[in-house]
Amino acid sequence: MKKFFTYFALTVFLIIGCYTAIEMSKLSPTFNGEKVNVVELYNNPSKYENNDADGVANLMVKQTIDKTHAINAVTAIVFDFRGYDTLGESFVLFTAISGTVVILRNAMKGRAD
Amino acid sequence: MSNKNVKVKEYIIKSAADFFAPIGLILGIYIILHGHLSPGGGFQGGVIVASAAVLIYLGYGYETATNTLKPNLLKKSEAIGALMYSFFALLGIFYAANFCRNVFYNVGNPGDLFSSGTIFLMNFAVGYKVLTGVGFLILLMFGLLANKEA
Repeated sequence: MKKFFTYFALTVFLIIGCYTAIEMSKLSPTFNGEKVNVVELYNNPSKYENNDADGVANLMVKQTIDKTHAINAVTAIVFDFRGYDTLGESFVLFTAISGTVVILRNAMKGRAD
Repeated sequence: MSNKNVKVKEYIIKSAADFFAPIGLILGIYIILHGHLSPGGGFQGGVIVASAAVLIYLGYGYETATNTLKPNLLKKSEAIGALMYSFFALLGIFYAANFCRNVFYNVGNPGDLFSSGTIFLMNFAVGYKVLTGVGFLILLMFGLLANKEA
């Protein structure tokens, strides 16, 4: 019975994932690189005209203060636009410290091996 | 230190620890709290605060460091920091938006200390989590070192 519920849940997740992937493929792309002149960007990158950038680059670079009221753009990206990333990062640290506690448990009790 | 013939003058290390530990604590807490205004953030400030544990160990030994910093308390505080981050991320759902949404970002002016909504709070949560976690890790490894020496 337990095995049945496991496979049922996995099948439901697979169906939802396939549905989401099919629906997302129908949407228009946010950034497809059509406006980027690659030869011009490679020859003189400092003078390249990037005022009409689109997609996530435009949102993160130009509208940071309007959207978050944070002056440090890196903190605004790390804690606001990419909050999931920081959540995973901090739980990676939590897992590493838990593993160290399991290995070095004897040192906590004052017993040397 | 295991060599008995060489007598290390501990006064130098002790006075250096006395001088640098408060500076490290205050600089680390400043970097955590000003994460949205100046370079730095939760991770970097937390590691700077945890370096004060190293200075206390170097100056006063393992017993004083564990009596001062309480490793069991640090271990529980790290889990509290992780839960704080999850709670501040869940505030978006309570305010009928999506997860990790900055719901009250327009509270203060840009440039104030208490501005930018959940960025400030999440920054503090991550800094608290990193300072307790890395401090606990350092004390754990120094405990192994102290047992090997004795």
